[in-house]
Amino acid sequence: MSREELAPRVKDLIVRRLKLEIDPASIDDGAPLFGEGLGLDSIDALELVLGLEQEFKIKVEDEEVGVKAFASVNALCDFIEQKKTA
Amino acid sequence: MTTAAFPHAYPFRFVDTVAQRPDAAFQGGRVRVRVTGNARASMGEGWQSPLLLAEAIAQAALLLEAGDAAAARRGYLAGIQEMTLERAPRAGETLEIAVRLHASFGPVFRFDGEVHGEDGILARGSVLVRKGEAEVVEP
Repeated sequence: MSREELAPRVKDLIVRRLKLEIDPASIDDGAPLFGEGLGLDSIDALELVLGLEQEFKIKVEDEEVGVKAFASVNALCDFIEQKKTA
Repeated sequence: MTTAAFPHAYPFRFVDTVAQRPDAAFQGGRVRVRVTGNARASMGEGWQSPLLLAEAIAQAALLLEAGDAAAARRGYLAGIQEMTLERAPRAGETLEIAVRLHASFGPVFRFDGEVHGEDGILARGSVLVRKGEAEVVEP
């Protein structure tokens, strides 16, 4: 799957799992997901962990890994690509 | 373990005794709580709210996960997912609350729980709890 295909899937996952009332396409690939940017919190992080497991068959081993992976859509795409090729 | 050490105090304490400690993967934990014939239960308040059954699952999960009442008190119910209620508890009934860990990430845990009454299941659902941020206010 190319990055052009993966990024929209990731944005759709974020919006759907977290029930955000925004257009997935409006999420900036490089903007922070937590704090500023989308303003997600730790509760949302757990939902994203579950979403990645269910929809991409990817496990987030621990919080340290997750914090890096959830930095932005770009970081999440990097994480998924890395996991899929490992 | 004394009941005085459990999370919260009457009438907002929904754990009386630990019936079964969970295994290492946090499957199969159970607690029991008696619904007393006090005004809240018998007058259609308190226990009649499905929100309190979610709180009961959260208290059970936090106590069993922490293994220690002081640590359990530092956690709190942070969200409710997929909660269904069959019926409200009755005064005088002993409830058994079964919990298992669904997932966790950092300080946030998702537990699946079931509340059983004397004639079957009362409620089931998933709760999100967060550990470690709430200040402990000693009485």
